[in-house]
This record gives sequence, structure tokens and C-alpha cells, in this order.
Amino acid sequence: MSAPIIGSSPNRVGGIARVTGQHEYVADILVADALEAKFVTIDCAHARIISVDASAALALPGVLAVMTAADMPQPVPRFGPQLEDRPVIAVGETKYHGDPVAIVVAETRDLAMQAAALVHVEYEELPAVFTLAGALDPSAPLVQDPSLRPKDRFASTNVLREHPIGWGDVDAATADVVVEHTYTFPMVTHFAIEPHAYMAAPDGDGIAVWSTIQHPNWLQKVIAQVLHMPLAKVRVFAPDPGGGFGGKQHAKYEPLVALAAMHIGRPVRLVLTLEETFQAVRRASAEVRVRTGVNRDGSLVFEDIVADYLIGAYADIADRVVGKGSYPAAGPYNVPNVRIMARSVLSHTMPSTAFRGFGNPQVNWAVESNLDEAARAIGMDRLQIRLHNLARKGDAFIPFDTPADGHWEQTVLRAAELIGWDSPLPEGRGRGIALGVKSGPTTGLSYSTVRLLGDGSVVVFAGTSDMGQGARTVFAQIAAQELGAPLGWVAVVMGDTAVVPYDQQTSASRSTVLMGNSVLQACRSIQKQLSAMAARLHGLDEAQVTMDRGVIHLPDRDLTVLDVLVPGLGRLGGELTGNGEVRKDADPTHPLSGAPAFFEFNCTAIEVDVDRETGDITIARHVTVSDVGKSLNPLQVRMQDEGAAIQGLGHTLMEHYIWDEKGRLRNPGAIDYRIPTSMDLPLELIGATIENEDGPGPYGSKGMSEGALLCISSAVGAAVRDAIGVPMRDLPLTPERVWRALQEPSS
Amino acid sequence: MATDMTNLGHIDLTVNGRHRALDVAVHHSLLDVLRDDLRLTGTKECCLVGECGACTVIMDGRTVDSCLVLAVEADGAQITTVEGLATDSGLSTLQQAFLDKGAAQCGFCIPGQLLSAEAFLRETPHPTREAAEEAIAGNLCRCAGYEQILDAIMATAEAGQQ
Amino acid sequence: MHAFAYVRPATVAEAVAILLAHGPDARVLAGGTDLVIRLRDGSAKPSVVVDLKRIAELRPGIREEDGHLVISATTVMTDVAADPLIRRYASALAEAASVVGSVQIRNRATLAGNICNASPAADTAPSLLVYGAVVVAQGPDGTRRIPIDEFFVRSGVTTLARGELVTAIELPVPTGRRGAMHQRRTRRRGHDLASVTVSCCVDEAGMTRLAYGSVGPRPVVYADATGVLADPSADREARLAILEAMFAGASPSPRSMRASPEYRLAMLRVLGARALQGAIDRLHADGD
Repeated sequence: MSAPIIGSSPNRVGGIARVTGQHEYVADILVADALEAKFVTIDCAHARIISVDASAALALPGVLAVMTAADMPQPVPRFGPQLEDRPVIAVGETKYHGDPVAIVVAETRDLAMQAAALVHVEYEELPAVFTLAGALDPSAPLVQDPSLRPKDRFASTNVLREHPIGWGDVDAATADVVVEHTYTFPMVTHFAIEPHAYMAAPDGDGIAVWSTIQHPNWLQKVIAQVLHMPLAKVRVFAPDPGGGFGGKQHAKYEPLVALAAMHIGRPVRLVLTLEETFQAVRRASAEVRVRTGVNRDGSLVFEDIVADYLIGAYADIADRVVGKGSYPAAGPYNVPNVRIMARSVLSHTMPSTAFRGFGNPQVNWAVESNLDEAARAIGMDRLQIRLHNLARKGDAFIPFDTPADGHWEQTVLRAAELIGWDSPLPEGRGRGIALGVKSGPTTGLSYSTVRLLGDGSVVVFAGTSDMGQGARTVFAQIAAQELGAPLGWVAVVMGDTAVVPYDQQTSASRSTVLMGNSVLQACRSIQKQLSAMAARLHGLDEAQVTMDRGVIHLPDRDLTVLDVLVPGLGRLGGELTGNGEVRKDADPTHPLSGAPAFFEFNCTAIEVDVDRETGDITIARHVTVSDVGKSLNPLQVRMQDEGAAIQGLGHTLMEHYIWDEKGRLRNPGAIDYRIPTSMDLPLELIGATIENEDGPGPYGSKGMSEGALLCISSAVGAAVRDAIGVPMRDLPLTPERVWRALQEPSS
Repeated sequence: MATDMTNLGHIDLTVNGRHRALDVAVHHSLLDVLRDDLRLTGTKECCLVGECGACTVIMDGRTVDSCLVLAVEADGAQITTVEGLATDSGLSTLQQAFLDKGAAQCGFCIPGQLLSAEAFLRETPHPTREAAEEAIAGNLCRCAGYEQILDAIMATAEAGQQ
Repeated sequence: MHAFAYVRPATVAEAVAILLAHGPDARVLAGGTDLVIRLRDGSAKPSVVVDLKRIAELRPGIREEDGHLVISATTVMTDVAADPLIRRYASALAEAASVVGSVQIRNRATLAGNICNASPAADTAPSLLVYGAVVVAQGPDGTRRIPIDEFFVRSGVTTLARGELVTAIELPVPTGRRGAMHQRRTRRRGHDLASVTVSCCVDEAGMTRLAYGSVGPRPVVYADATGVLADPSADREARLAILEAMFAGASPSPRSMRASPEYRLAMLRVLGARALQGAIDRLHADGD
């Protein structure tokens, strides 16, 4: 038996294709005879479409179609993961800036663009809402037609849903000190470096669809429904995406491209520009009011939280983001009285969707920042107040839910140690520490198939999308370890619904745990078959043979897989096949329809230097510690944590959508929407993990990869406040915002 | 190509050591021609405004954003794309370092990162980490914290010193 | 990108003839880092694009000639930033050139293109202003030497006439010691468009020149010949009054997404003071 491959960091599976340019992303795939599509949009957010004149566009040789809602099946198909409220193309009116009115299909990209510019849309601009205040105004125009939700008490408002949760009695509770503030979180976008891309091609009596999607099986269902085809006739190809971060979870324009391809009878390709991607996916902005009650000994008495999230014109998965993200808003603390009221508020903006952290960073920013204020109000150390109230393993910190599933105090103490919490603070600097906890997946269904081929090599079929997190590598490591194959002898097949068994989705940091367990199960099934084979070959009872880590143990000796497999399969050869199925069914009695499979827990500690003249923040030291149970691949764990931390620095320091008064996005694209570059890194970035092998995943692992983003804003904000003496309550913490805070008379 | 005004241009260039002669539309970028005409799709398209660096190639020894270069401007140029980095004996030292250090996550920015790193190391064989940070500042990555990419560049430089 | 005609003249005379014939329908292509973006987004729709890079007379290069540094029109920022003559005689220009965009952008963007776009935020403009640069333009009527302060009109507009082409930028080689510094304000440390740019140059005779951009329709330059600004031991109030008079020319746009007018004005003062101090320190350390 060779050294364990679990816990090591081999080269990424698929890595060679990535450093040679061979990996084919959707936009790189050549499909013969493919046409190119381009949207026609109008320069305003909410408008009634009066007419669309495509005659000039259609007169161009090589333009095959200009399709509007009128060219779609009637009624125009609608879809969506939560509510089927989103039409495949704007019907009668546009609801946000960038909402496609028509799609042009032409022989070349040049032609499609030229033709799109020639389509004349006559429209009447309608009143619209782009802010929480505007959307919640009693006289606000309604984003959603009330007839779409006849029995809904919110139908005549822009509130899509409310998500109340709580325990104890906040109104009856009395605390020595009550601190109340309101915090805001900006609208930001995923900015995967790969813009979203789609392609569809008639395929016999079915259809093939290529997409940069994270959830190919979900997309398959949407396409089947829109085209009235059986699932078996819809083949979705989902090549490893070039970054997802949640933005590529759900169908966006695939149904439209599929309809266009079926209409014309040829393959159609639509590669969004980065600007169009900005108009397709974003995170919900939020305004969060927090009342924190605390006694002088530091004990939290209550948290009273009102969180309004500004979602877009259609629900997408945004309302789930609001409900699930706000659910653990009171944090990883034992708080006897909690009241959380979160609302998803519709607006005439592009639909917001899942984004790393899933609604959690918004409330974390508010609640953790307010906890700092509470600590200051009672004169208590900000680390101590956290340790004082922190849930210990097994504490039912959310009374009706999975208890705390880790020794979280270890994480906090490690972060405090790495930042040097008790060491003297250099002049002009400030420190902050914050905790983040996020519910993992509440439901799940992951099938896998593992084939042990006749020469001992292995093929793993798993429907996870490897969008950079390294799922291929982890699954290959599991198979290699269990079946005794070198890692280079394991192939992992993903991203083809005709070949790979069903997986519900790649989200919520689930894949290592749910699909990982499924692959492990499939491998164990093969181990059983090998043991049975060995017993047969050696005339033993099956009970006398065991197998682990690729070694078959007979009572008197150990055998390799090949020692058994080759004679066992015999002259014809063949293979052994194992299947895995990990199912986490919904629990209708649970507020989230299911207790989380695990919690992601992170502690981030920051030391900043602030230029008091300019407001510039320098992150002098950035410590991020996550409880991951067990690092199956330590390098990948580090990469995910660091990536999450730096992505979080983006919305903390510089990223935000800017709108004009008509609800037009002013800064789509890379020029005026800034994300961190290699020159914007912390001077020192220190990552660490806590590993007690106490997670539900393979070998005691837990899901990870969102944790380091959850509380980064809170930790940076706290450090800045510590440095300048003025609280910051609005993100991002741009130099100008910090400078303004320093101009306040109180500072 | 002469000084006549033209909407189509004939260009001769060398891409990854191979001579290429082709007619291009003058409003097509070098990126368009690499990806669509030469089918060298390792060079990626993202922002199209010279901010993200996904389309970085080396042109006559220096990195450029190929989205901001008209293909006709590349007439006579020597171009290196990601497809031209590997050698007959396999991955280049830099590519291997990117693999070993875990620099590639989703991989979409990696061709551009590799070419920026390649040109940088040719010019600066003994760099400081700070200089490396500046060298790849025109190549956005959204997966990583850039640390592993920088580790790979520094490791390659160190390997070159042995 | 919409279609256009492309022409690659071999001589300046040919280029001038084309520019004269087509007027505003022609656009000059040097590095393309601005023009190609505008061609793609449709904000520039020329019928002809005139590529200067094969004109032998404009071959990239920086040379010293008759008491001037002459920077040819196709010289890119990378070379400006690294050039020993520029670093010796015009360090603030080297600093400014070294922060334009990313490496990839600096490898293509030309100094001449930067000023011909006449963006108020052009990084190199303030340093060229404090050094008293001269823009050499060739047109149908011959060569014109335009002091840089008379070159900028407003965003996108210069005093170049129809048919005129910038062939070089000249900087006087200083006769005495001087110190200079360039400062800028951006939204992140990585490459970004500046919301304030300031250059300051102080010479041993006590002359201070301070120029700034991105806070008004065009970059502007001010001079103090009294010696007060250049003297750190001079009366603080007197120095502040001179600086305030210089900053009075700023009128930042309220429409900008990058920073508010109040912040820009405040940062102009911060960066102006820093650039001045830096210039003085450098004058006394080792000169420019």
C-alpha cells in the first residue's frame, strides 16, 4: 500500500489541459454550422414594448431570424427554480436594464451584432423601482403582476416573501445595554472570468444544449419542460466552467437559445459579453437593522434583526437566498432570544441569484459589526465577547436545528493567535475579528458510478461541476485511495447528462460531502465485489476477506486489486461497477425544509493600516481560519479559502454596482467595476484549518469554500473602526467613504 | 500589405513558431483571428477592454492584450500563445510550476497569466515577489488569491537560477 | 466592431494627406489601447483608421537633441518609463508612464496617444505640463511646435488642426538641478483610471511648477516663481495660500462614478502637498 493519497495535494486532475490551453470551455467548442446570436435590448429598465421593427436587420444577407416573444410558443414559456415567473424573453414589457426584447440569429458574430443594432424597438418608459425605499413605497409600481400570485397577501406589494424566524421572546427580554444600527451591503456581481455562454443544436428528435451551467441536471429539466421533450431527449453538456461562484447555478438564457435552435433547425450559439453577464447575474443588496441586547457580563440577551434584500425582477433562486442566508443571522452564539425578519423585495433590476455565501455575508456584516458596537458599549474585549457567547460543540444554538458540529472555539482561538490579538497594536493600525457560520446543504441527491476497468484503472462518473474548486481531483483521490489505483489511472467524467448519473446541483459547498460520499459508496461497493471475488478465488468465506485502501486482506496475506481482479474477471476481461446514492430528503417540518448537512464555520482576523488623509485601507495582515473537518487536499482547501477571502475583499473594499436615475447600470464591465488585482492583496495572508475529522463527508471532511468570505467585511470593518475610531456601516469601504467618516465632527 | 485603404488585409505572421498567412477583416482583432480563424482557443475572451488580461499573448517579445490589437497590426509579428509554451519534451518549467503550486483553479485566466509570467521572467530572471505582483496585475483571477500564481512564478525563477 | 478601412502609410507626408482628406472621419491608430475600445463600443466610428506604426520617421525612440529629449510618436509607455534619459531628466514622467494601465497596456499605449486623446485623467499630462513639454505636429503647412499647455482644450479635443499629426514630444533638458514627483488617486492599487493626478517639479532656482488633471475639463499647470513653495521653511500660511490659488482651477465633474467632487478636491490638496514635498526632498537628495 502506498502513502495515503487522501490528505495529499497532487496536481489537479484536469490541470494539464488548463496550463496548455487545451481545456475547452463552452465558447471554445466548435460545432459545425453553428449560428451566432445577439440580444436586442433597450436603453432603459422598465418599458412597455410598443413595436419591434426587424425589417432592416432581416434584409441583411445572412440574418436568419429576429425572434421576439411573438415568435415563441404561446403562452411564452416561463421558468425558474423557485417560481416559474421568468419568461424566456421579455413579454410585453422589459423589467430591467438588459432584459432582451429580441434575439437576432445570423451566420456570423459580426452580422448578428450589426443586425441587432438595426432592430428598432419602439417603447414607452414606465415608472420603475431600483432601491429598497423605492420598491417599498406604498405608491410604488408593482414589479410582478398581482395575478401571478392571486392568494398571496403580498401580491399588491413588491415584497415577494417574508422569512420570519426566531426563538425566545425578544419583546419580553431586558438587557443592560441595547445597541441598534442599520447597515447596508452593496449590489455586486460574480465576475467569473469566463462570461456565460450557451449553445443549442437540434439532435435527431431531441436537442443538445451546451452551457456554462453549474447544475446541468436542473437545466435538463428546464429545457425538457420548455420544449415538451422527455428528459432522455435533452442532452446537456456542461464543460467545466471558468468560475461559477453561484452565478452559473440556474438557467438564464439556455431556454431562449434552445427555442431559437429548434425554430431555425441549426445550432445557435450565444456568448455573453462581460457587460451582458453583469446584466444577467448579481448578488442581492441588503439593508439590515440590528438591535443587540447584551448584559454587562457580556452575555447576549437578544438579537432583533430586520433584513431587507433587494432582489430583481424575477425570483430566480433569490428568495431562497434571502430565507436561507438570513436564517443563521444571529451567528454561532447561544442567544436566548432571537427574532429575524427577512424580506425579499422585488425591483426593476436584473434578477439576483446565488453567490458564494448565499445571502449570509449581508447579515453577517450587520450582526457582527453590531456585536463589536455592543462590546464597546460594555467595555468588553471584542474577542472575549465572542468566546463568551460562542456555541460549544453540541450546543443547540439554533434551538430546533442541527447543534454546533465543531469545536468552534479552536477556530477562533487559532485566528486570535495568528493575528496576535493580545500583542501591542502599532501606531495608526486597527484590528478586527469576526465569525461566520453558514448552513450547508439542506437537501441533496447525488448519484455516482465508478467503473474499475480490467487493468485496474478507474472511471468515476459524477454530475458535479468542477468550476475551479477541484471536485475532479477530490473524487479521483477518493477512488484512488479506495481502489488502490495511482491517481493518474483515474478518470473523472462530468458534464454530460446522457452519460453521467443524476446530481441535484453543485452548490452550498456540498460536493465533497454529498458527491464525495456517493463516490466513496460506489468504491465500497466495488471493494465488496473484489472481496467476494477473492473469497471465491481462494476458497474462503466472504466474511474472511476484507478490503481497505486498495488492499485485499485474506486471513494469511494481503493482495493487490490486480491480484484479484485479473484472475477474477477471467479470460474475457470486463470490469466491476459500483453505484453510489446519497440522498438527503426534504424535511417539511424544518424552517429551511431540512437541517443542514454541516455548518461552514470561519473566523477571520484582520489588521489594517489606514491613511487618515486619503482614507486608503491597507490590509497589513489577513488571517482566515476554517473548520473543515479534514482537508482531503490541503492545497485545494487553501486555494479555496484564499480565493474566498480575496473575493470577499472585493465587496468589502471596492466593488459595487452604480445606477443612474433611470435604473440603468452605469458600470457594467471591467473598466468601472473594480475587482482585486494581484496588487490589492493583503501584505500578509495567513490561512489555517481546524481538522478534528468530525464532519459528515468522506474521512471526516466538511464542506468548505464559502466560509472565508462570510465574515471578511465584518472583520475589515471592525479593524478600520478600531484604527479610525469611527464606525463604518456601509460597504464597500472605499477610500472616499473612510475619508468621509473621518471628516465627521465626532472623529 | 501596401498603403492602399482596405477592409480586408492579408497578413503574414508567425504563431508559436509556425508561419501563417491569411486574409483577415481589418476590424477583427488579433484575438478574433487567433480564436476563430486559427482555432487557437487557448487565448480567452472576457472583458474586451484590455482590463482582464485573459487574451494576453506575447507579440514580438512583449505581452499585449490581443483584444486591443487589430489583426492587421500583427502583420509580420512573432506571436506566442499558450499553445506555444510547451516544449517537445513536455510542459515548460513555468507550466509545470503552475501545476505543482496549484495556480490553476477554473483555469480560464491561466493562459493569460502564463504568458504574462513568461514574458516577465524572460526580462526579469531574478524577480522580487513584489515585481511579480505588478507583472500579473493586468491578469484578473477570480478563483484564487493570486498567491499560488505568484508562488509558481517565484519557483520558476528559482529553478532557473540553479 | 463595425467595419472601417485601414491604411498603413509609409511616410508622415502620406499620413498627413490622408488625415487632411478625411478630416474627422479618419482616426489615428498608434497603440490602439484607447481607439480599439472605442471602435468596439461604437463611440468612435471612423471610416478610415490610419496606422502610424510603419512610418519610418516615427519609429519608436527617445533621443537627446539640441538640449531636448525627443520622444517619437510611436514610443510606448514601457519604454518611456524605463528610458535612462527620461528617468534622469524627467522622473515624474517616468513615474506617470509606469502607472498607466497594466504591463500589457504599457507595452502598446503611446505617450503621444495618451495626450492626443486629451483625457482629463491622462496620467502623463501633468508631468509633461510641469516639464514644459512641446508637442511637435506636422501638417499640410509644415511643422508646428505647440507648448503642451496650449495643446489641451477639453476631453477628446486638442488644438491640432485638420490634417495635423503629432510626430514627437519634446522635453527641454534641464540646465540645473531639479526634483519632481507624480502622484495619483485610484480606487484600487492595481491599474485603474485616476480620479486625481498631480505632478510637481521644483528647481534649484526656486521655481515650482505644479500641474494636475482629472479634476476639470483639461489638465492645468501653475507656477510659483517666488521661491516660497520651494522653501519648506517659508511661512506655512503663505505657502498654503499659493497652493490654494493653484487649486482654485479645479472643477471636478459631479457626474463621475470614480469619486465625488468633494473628495477629488480634498485629494488634490493631499496629493498636491505630497507631490510638492516629494519634489523638494528629491531636489535636495539627488536631483531629478
